Amino acid sequence: MCNCDKNKVVEVDALYYPMEGTIVKVEQMTEYEKFFEIRLSDGKELGNMPGQFVQLSMFGIGEAPISVSSSPTKEDKTTFEICVRKVGTFTNALHALGVGDKIGVRGPFGRGFPVDELKGNDLLFIAGGLGIVPLRSLIRFVMDKRRDFGKVDILLGCKEPKDRLFSNEIEEWARLADTNYTCTVDKSDPEWKGNVGVITTLIPGVDIDVNRTYAVIVGPPIMYKFTIMSLMDKGLPKDRIIMLLERRMKCGLGKCGHCQINHKYVCQDGPTFRLDELTGMGEAL
Amino acid sequence: MRHYYLEKTSMGKFIESLKEGYRVVAPIKKENQFVFAKVESAGEVELEYLPTVLPPKKYLFPQKEKLGTFDMGDTKLTDTSVEVEPMIIFAAHTCDIEGLECLDVVFNSDPADPYYKARKKSLLIIGFECMVPCDEYATCRTMDTHNPKAGYDVMITDVGSKYVLHVNSKEGKDLLEGNSALLDAGNGEAKTLLAKTREEKLKRFDNKLKPEFSRLARLFGDSYTSPVWDEVGEKCLSCGNCTAVCPTCYCLDMYDKVKLDTTGGERKRVWDSCQLEEFASVAGGENFREERSSRQRHRYYRKFDYSVKKYHKFFCTGCGRCSRTCMAGISLIETVNSLDEENENV
Amino acid sequence: MSKNKKKKEKVRIAFFDFADCEGCQLQVTYLNEAFLGVLEHCDIVNFREAISERSDDYDIAFVEGSITREHDAERLKEIRKNAKILIAYGACACIGGINGLRKKYTADEAINIVYAGRKDPIEAGEPKPVHDVVKVDHYIHGCPTSNDELVEALKGILLGKGYTPPDYAVCVECKLKENVCLFEKGQVCMGPVTRAGCNSWCPSWGNTCYGCRGLLPNPAKEGQMDVLEKNGYTINELEQKFDLYNACKLEADKNE
Repeated sequence: MCNCDKNKVVEVDALYYPMEGTIVKVEQMTEYEKFFEIRLSDGKELGNMPGQFVQLSMFGIGEAPISVSSSPTKEDKTTFEICVRKVGTFTNALHALGVGDKIGVRGPFGRGFPVDELKGNDLLFIAGGLGIVPLRSLIRFVMDKRRDFGKVDILLGCKEPKDRLFSNEIEEWARLADTNYTCTVDKSDPEWKGNVGVITTLIPGVDIDVNRTYAVIVGPPIMYKFTIMSLMDKGLPKDRIIMLLERRMKCGLGKCGHCQINHKYVCQDGPTFRLDELTGMGEAL
Repeated sequence: MRHYYLEKTSMGKFIESLKEGYRVVAPIKKENQFVFAKVESAGEVELEYLPTVLPPKKYLFPQKEKLGTFDMGDTKLTDTSVEVEPMIIFAAHTCDIEGLECLDVVFNSDPADPYYKARKKSLLIIGFECMVPCDEYATCRTMDTHNPKAGYDVMITDVGSKYVLHVNSKEGKDLLEGNSALLDAGNGEAKTLLAKTREEKLKRFDNKLKPEFSRLARLFGDSYTSPVWDEVGEKCLSCGNCTAVCPTCYCLDMYDKVKLDTTGGERKRVWDSCQLEEFASVAGGENFREERSSRQRHRYYRKFDYSVKKYHKFFCTGCGRCSRTCMAGISLIETVNSLDEENENV
Repeated sequence: MSKNKKKKEKVRIAFFDFADCEGCQLQVTYLNEAFLGVLEHCDIVNFREAISERSDDYDIAFVEGSITREHDAERLKEIRKNAKILIAYGACACIGGINGLRKKYTADEAINIVYAGRKDPIEAGEPKPVHDVVKVDHYIHGCPTSNDELVEALKGILLGKGYTPPDYAVCVECKLKENVCLFEKGQVCMGPVTRAGCNSWCPSWGNTCYGCRGLLPNPAKEGQMDVLEKNGYTINELEQKFDLYNACKLEADKNE
């Protein structure tokens, strides 16, 4: 007979415990978007792969899944970068923080872009709206290892010219050989000399070798369907179309159920998926 | 493992003996239903009971639980501990034991949940085998959960004149060793008794689901776009009852509970439900399961399809709680049988 | 030292009542310990239930009651001007509440029912929830309001994140408490279509939910009608169940 009549206090693994981060740089990007650089304490490295996300945490407010916008190839590996739009309670509170403020970090989570598979291929990056934020982690990765990849085309779509994110950086890259950049806006302004119209209008103009090109698409749900159609019209096969799907990850640990797409958990099986992996997954697109 | 006999008149004494070292929770009457609750005296325990309002998952994965405590403005969660109590879940049905088996798979898969694991470690499960089907909602025969298989430490079976206790784990063995309420049973004799009892029992358990166990996964594979989901969706009130009472639902949300003086608080998690309207919506406003029909389909697929793909298990234990609790009368048996009929007609 | 702490000044709180019973304000006086905790962060400058002083200098205005007359609307607009944050407090303020039943009748009918035989002129305007007149920042629902929710809301507001009441049904909270469902006991309950946040206050004490926290943003009204009908209620009785607290909204929906 067991005589364990006392309650036991058991120490548990720190699965839900955030690491300490400090904001070291803040930059207002547009009216609603801010850029943050965050340094982990004790010289820790985030060690993210392009396309992964973190759970940022502010006690009293809660947690939110945020895409990492920087590449692991960046020089200072003790910091990482994010770019956040102010849309709700959490992001409002985040926007109120400044340099020196602390923020909790869990992660990185998820399956990043298949960078090894992409090596040696031409790349067509297609970003709509905030899609450039996670995609930037991959573009920067490619730019830092430029010789490992073929031709790069970057297509960017946003509502108005003033909403463009990271456009200076992208223009800079576009000066490199074999790297092209085109931007389109839904609504022009007097200074705008670029394209006007939805992003799919840019696709016919891109020169694609369907046997050596990967398209990587990140944008709002509505964009995927039409972009995929245009790419498949050009003959690009499903296993050469990669995208990043947005869902509301709460735990990041494959438990909470919020990010589920059919039988897949975006926080573990995604957020990046090849189109052929989504066959039979009615909820994906 | 070994077997014991327990005289029917000694059941009370046996339960009291368990209470000496453990917090014993068992089915107890609450108004016109049953709930698992702490046993104060053995007389309260109901051995013949309809499935409880909530399944025993609440003892491993509580409705609300603390993940850690914090100071405002800090980033560190402190108090990295769970308080666990040596506990016995007594008289659990085989369907509910299967429910815990499913949760075990989920919470132990990488990364394993430390809170669940800590609680499970201090828990013993004593099952009580059903000899008659509980009501018209249960589908345990089809789901093959009507007989004890695994996941328990001790199983109690009424063989008519007395109870047979099957010991199924080292923890169970240690628990029962030397218990004066029990009599040693020869393994051969006990096994014969159990086999005979189960042969008789099977005659009373019928298949209420038309598709057989082996056909269920295929059926769901073919039914994703079925109009049955619209019919189910039209009835649904999105109240979340079906998921709360499900022994294998584990969706959760996290929130911060701040102290009154706002200097700190607790980070907590709470049961959530895929049936609630905002469950699958993202910060930008997009809702990936806006329709009740798609939310209900999601629930069914998590039991009969997604779980099979992800964990190689059905996550329906046949307990019937979801149908029993649904005010709108959404019945699992009707839904699955409608899918089956429709499938045959194609 | 590295904490993101900002020293906060005391927040000035004022309560105002319009067409209502003042029962929600009365709830505040039952806060006891929590009330003292709240007072550490707040000064209450206007509160008819407990203090006689008055002030027009406040940060947060709690507005109780529905708005029925033109001069009430004017008074409310003044309050909105003075307040940094305006909270609709209680069912009458949030959804029109029981006062909404007035909308089922003409003014004459209503006066005749309530003040039968009185000859002096009585002003019987159409009741409106507060948000029909001014912008509302936060809602604290209920008839009466629950003090637990009031404290949660206040903490949220003091922390700058505000307060959003749940957008799911009362059943969610009721089930977590493992209450026996009222439908199982042959009773009828508005829980499935009513906004949670009260921690299933009434059903937990054996009462049915009357729907005082208002309908869900997207209630399954047809489904609920089916359920009630199956439980032996006539259409007329069903309408009454819905109208008791939600007539303001339902009558307005009809006219859309």
